[in-house]
Order: sequence, then structure tokens, then C-alpha cells
Amino acid sequence: MTTRRELFKFAGGSAMGLLLTPAPWRLITDTALWSENWPGIPRPAGGEIRTRFTHCALCPAGCAVRARCVGEQPVALAGVDGGLCPFGVAGHHLPYHPERLRQGDRQQAASALAAAIAASTPDRGVAVLDLQPGRTASWTYRRAVAAIKSGVYLAPEEPACAVNLAAARTVLSLGAPLLDGWGRPNLVFRARPDFRLIQAEAIESRTAALADEWLPVAPGSETALGRAVAGEIGAHEAAGITGLAEEQISQTARALRENGLALIVAPEMTSEVLRWNLALSGWGKTVVPRREAPVPKTWIKAAPVIPLAAMRDGSLGALVIDESVPGAHLPWAEIERKLAPGAVVVVFTWSRAGYARHATCALPTAVYPEAEGDLPQAIDAPEAGFRLTVPLIPPPPGMTDPAQFVGALAGLDIKDALRERAGAIHASGRGSLRTYADGKSQAVKDVKLDDFWKALNAGGAWTSGTEDSGKPPKPASITAPAINTDTLWPLRLAVDSPAAAVLVSPLMAKLSQESRLRLAPRTAALHPKAGFEDGARAMLETPYGGCAIEVAVDASVPPGMVLVADRPEIADLRGADGCARVVRI
Amino acid sequence: MRRNLFIVAGVLAGLGAGWAGFPRAIYNSRPQPVDFSHKIHADKAGAKCEDCHAFREDGSFAGIPTLEKCAGCHAAPMGDTAAEKNFIAAYVTPGKEPQWLSYARQPENVYFSHASHVKRAGLQCAACHGNEGSANHLRPYEQDRVSGYSRDIWGWQGRPGMKMDDCVDCHRRSARKGSGALAGERSCLDCHK
Repeated sequence: MTTRRELFKFAGGSAMGLLLTPAPWRLITDTALWSENWPGIPRPAGGEIRTRFTHCALCPAGCAVRARCVGEQPVALAGVDGGLCPFGVAGHHLPYHPERLRQGDRQQAASALAAAIAASTPDRGVAVLDLQPGRTASWTYRRAVAAIKSGVYLAPEEPACAVNLAAARTVLSLGAPLLDGWGRPNLVFRARPDFRLIQAEAIESRTAALADEWLPVAPGSETALGRAVAGEIGAHEAAGITGLAEEQISQTARALRENGLALIVAPEMTSEVLRWNLALSGWGKTVVPRREAPVPKTWIKAAPVIPLAAMRDGSLGALVIDESVPGAHLPWAEIERKLAPGAVVVVFTWSRAGYARHATCALPTAVYPEAEGDLPQAIDAPEAGFRLTVPLIPPPPGMTDPAQFVGALAGLDIKDALRERAGAIHASGRGSLRTYADGKSQAVKDVKLDDFWKALNAGGAWTSGTEDSGKPPKPASITAPAINTDTLWPLRLAVDSPAAAVLVSPLMAKLSQESRLRLAPRTAALHPKAGFEDGARAMLETPYGGCAIEVAVDASVPPGMVLVADRPEIADLRGADGCARVVRI
Repeated sequence: MRRNLFIVAGVLAGLGAGWAGFPRAIYNSRPQPVDFSHKIHADKAGAKCEDCHAFREDGSFAGIPTLEKCAGCHAAPMGDTAAEKNFIAAYVTPGKEPQWLSYARQPENVYFSHASHVKRAGLQCAACHGNEGSANHLRPYEQDRVSGYSRDIWGWQGRPGMKMDDCVDCHRRSARKGSGALAGERSCLDCHK
């Protein structure tokens, strides 16, 4: 008879025997592999692997994008003819952003706007604020407000000129993030070996770190350096403002004049920066007029572009803000000042974080790479161009097309606006069409209209070719504001990553927050001499409002400056002069 | 003697179960939808691998041919085999795509470029897939019941494995020979999505 002891011996022997076989080890491996495939793991869609082309809509650079799609799902984005910036590489994450706005009452918005239009008077007008002018949608807004009683088209001031980096041999950047998303990354880095870069900036930004020479000027004094190298003020005066040595300023001015073609760039290419470039004989070479792709003749009767600052306070009974694409951000306080009591504010946005916080009604829109549209001219595009953002995935239900909505308010049918614009470009017979799939360029006059449109929708790009710049303009003589000596607002506000306002992949935002390489969203960096200890709670205040912050003491931040990470609350606080103060709580 | 008999019997039972029973039990075996003969296609039709497992115009690899490709030749029977007649009756005539079971399916997080390996590096198909091209019948597809992966991934019956270690080994060997292959230590994102 078998005893219990013998059964245990048999079981123990079996266990020993099994240990000498692959079975237990294989089960361990298999269990580990199973844990990679269990039902809770997100599984990308399967399907045919295809390559599609589009243009990135995250900034006006509009880089050409090669998208690797599995079935209908983009799974990886890469640049064509060069790399994409980190925001562009992760652009296909945006439709899944947790801050995404998914619902909005379109009927309520349409009724409120229709009532405001019916009741509008010259003292209580209806305006569209376009934060990214220069698109076909911008032309639609201009046509629509021209057809609306007391309609006004508002837009941030466009740059006074475009730049041609490829022609420059010396570039003086007055705080422009030239190597960090200011221009088209692939073209900037292609031209980079051919020019000497002098970066004048208070902080050692990424561009400053990669420049041939970094001039650590006093916060907010970049303009004085520009005026000095253009010969408008003396080196001695500029040295007093910028904190640089007089000899250093003279040397920079000499470098710009003696080392071939020179270019001065600033974050905003204002008429003042253009004037300095004219003084360096850059017109037609390093600075050229901004050129726009042709538009149909019937569009020319559109409303003029008016800057927000030109509007009277309290003169808008209804305001439509197009925030569906990333563009300039004006402090809400500046916008609010222009609204009449009880004004209707309708915001088209993809995110809950922007102007939607202040709107009467926020309507959700498609986001890149769902949205269809074209792109404005990049600041470093010396030629006119026309590129479409071809949707890679369909938008979710319930999204509103801002241009169609505004067009419908004015009774315009704008369904085929992009196609009409392409027709006008084709009719001009100018320029060439480049298709990325085969890397070929051909003259527009050799392409049929249907093929031209088809190629644009397959991710092609039209460029006008080199054109004569004509006579140099006479920019208005603007006196630059003196360096901030206001005791009420003793600091200059600077943002850590100017390109990363809202349109950032949630994955990148998480990595950024977990990284000590970048400032956390609610942290402000100050010089040790500012008198705060690390981790102190304080209020960051500007003439537009304030927000609570945690102080990070950082010796690399110059005295007189407060450095913060960009986010919607900060964008609402930043004025053009950047005045700020930090108050201990 | 009797005292150790049960231990020895247990060890032998464990060895038997682990070496003979376990490999049979761990895999779930399923037949392919069509009894396809690579050998007949290669010998009689003179077909090469890339005739059916083709590259698209954009350079990407189409993988297992679709019904459309098969129907190009087999709209009507070309021979007199029962397998071909069954294939036409069950799939070509009703236009139903055969649900092939891929022996070499990799996890979703892996990116493998056939174009880089075949076109640029000149790797033979058999280097990874074994001598599948000369087989008269398609083997049953054997799937690991726990991990869900094909048995071929592990390499067996003379076939090379297709695990990450196998990729790295091959790249290291090729790099040592100076073939220009990446040494397999560049970055995760070269192969992983």
C-alpha cells in the first residue's frame, strides 16, 4: 500500500525532475510575455503600413511631415528633408490630450452671435480675432466681416519682413529663439554652418548655448544693442543700457558690417528691426518683403486687418476668437478691455485651457493632425508658398470648423475656399510644385489644375520662386522704449520654452514636469540676489494680474529677470514690455 | 531501496512531463486555411519569394499576398490538385480573403523593415524564415497558449529564432564582419515603436 510519505516523495521527485526540464523556466518567460499582452495594455490598431505626407500645423514654420500610418492611424511622424522639432514629432498625440474640449453648444453660439449682429452699431461692433493671420481661413474671416454690419477683422501685427537665412554670413539675434523653433528647423539648421551666430540675450537659452558668441545683455536691453549696431545710438550709450563693454558692442557692429551679408533678427520682426537691417544693406538679400500666395480676385473686397490695440475700449458687442490653431496669445485683460458690457465671446478652440476659460461659449474644433487647412508664411520663407495640412485622421463627431461657422453667419459658402485659392495660384502660372513622395519639383504651368489640387492634398507644396524685392520700404521711425527702470515692476518676465504654450503632447508635458531640465509649470526661477529662498511661496504679478508661484533659486537667471514655464495663465499675464514683480506671500 | 523508488519515479515522471508533455501542452495547434505548397509554386511556376511576398512602390513590404494577388493566376484551376480546387471554391469564387496565420508575427511594439534587410543588406528570406520556400505543405500554426506568440519566434526544427536576442546576435555578427550592419546597440527606437 502506498503511504502518504511515499506520495510526498514522488511529488518532491517530480518537482526536482521538472526543474531539470525547460518547463518552469519557459513558463516564467511566457508569463512575462503574457504580461505585455494582457487585455489592459493599449493595443495599436493593426493594418496596412503606409506613408502619408502632410504639413505640421503646430507653428507657422509648417514643416513637411512624413507620417507612418498603420491602417488609418498615424503612429510616427518624421520630417521631410530634415528633422522635426520635439513638439512636431509628438504631434499625433494631440487628439488624445486630456485637456481637449469635446462639447459645445453650437446652436447657442449661433443664436447669440446672430442676435449681436442684428443689434450691432458702430459703437458696439462684431469682431473676429484671428490669432494666426495669413491663412485661407483668415481671408474667409475678412470676407465674412466685410459682409456683416459693423464687422471688424482683428489680428496681431504681422512681421514687417521675411528673412533669408541662407544669404546671411553673420546673424545677430536679439533674443530670438533662432535655433529653437523660430524659423523652419530643417532650413535653419541647413543654413547654420554658413553663418556666424551672435546671440544677445539675458539668459543662456538653448540658442545662446549653440551660438558662436553669446552676449549676456541686461534683461530687456536687446533693442538698445540693435540700435547701436545700426548706428542709431553710440556704443557708449548702448554699453550703459545693455551692461556690455563698449568695445564688445563696437566689435559686434564691425562684425556685422565687415563679414559679408549681415542679418539682425528679433522675436518679432517689427518695422524697427527692418530699419536696422536696411541700415546694413540687407534689403533684397537677407530681408525681403513678406509674400503671400495669390487669392481669387473676388476675395480682394475683404475687410482690412486691424490690430486689437486700435479698437476703442468697450466697442465690441460680440467677439469671435479663433484659437483652433496655435498663434499669438494676447493677454485676456487687453481683450476684455475692448468688450462692451454684456458682450458675447465665442471661442473656437480644441483645448479647455486657453481663452475658453473666459468665453460665453466655447466650441470644440479639430486639432492637428485632424484639421484641414493651409499655413501662413514662415518668418524665414523668402518666397510665397501654399501648403495644406492634410488630415491624417478624421476628427471626432461634434467638432466645428471655425471658418465655415463664421462664413455661414455672413451667408458665405466657403466649403471650397482652399480649392478656390489653389485655383488662383494655378491660374497665376507662377512657381513650382514639389511632391514629397517622389521628391520631384515641376513648374505649375506644366501641371493641370486637378493634378495640382490632388498633389497639394497628397502633401505637396507650392512655392512662388525668386521674385524681385523692389525698392526698400521706409519703415516708420519708432523710438524704442528705454530699459525698464520702473520701481513698481522691477523684473522682466521671460518664458522658459516659448514654443510650448498649449499644444504639447501630454506625454511630453509629463516628461517635462518630471524633469529638472525644465521649469515645472508653477515654478519661477530667480537670481539668488532677489532675496528669496528655494521653495518660497510667492505671487508673480504683472500689470495684467497675478498668479501663485514657487520660487526656484537659480544663479544662471540674471538679476532683474524672472523665468517661468509657459502656460495659459502666464500667457494672460505677459505684456509686450514684460514688466513683472514677485511678492512674497 | 523502496525508500528511494518513489523519488526516482517522481524525478523520471517530472523529466518526462517537462521534456515530452510540456512542449505538446503549451502550444495550441491550428491548420492554415489553405493547403498551400511553396514547393509547387517554386518548381512548376518558377515563382520567387518576391513574386508573391512583394514590395510596394513606396518600398514597404506587403507581407502575405492578398486574395487579389492569388486570384491573378488562380481565377480558374491551373492544375488538378484538390487543394487548388478547394481554394478556388472556398475563397476565390466567393471573394473571401483567407485568414492566414503568420508564423513570424512580431509584437505590436516592434518595427521591422523588410526593405532594409532584404533590399539594402541583401539578406536571404531563409535567413529568418528557414526553408519555408521548399516545403510541400504549410505546417500547422502553433501558438503559445500563455504568451500568444508563434512557436517559430523561438526557433525550432532547424529554423532560426526571431526574438530580440536573435536580432542582436545577427547584427553583432554582421557588424564584426564589417558588413555595415548596425551593431544592435544604437537605440531602442531603431526597432521599437
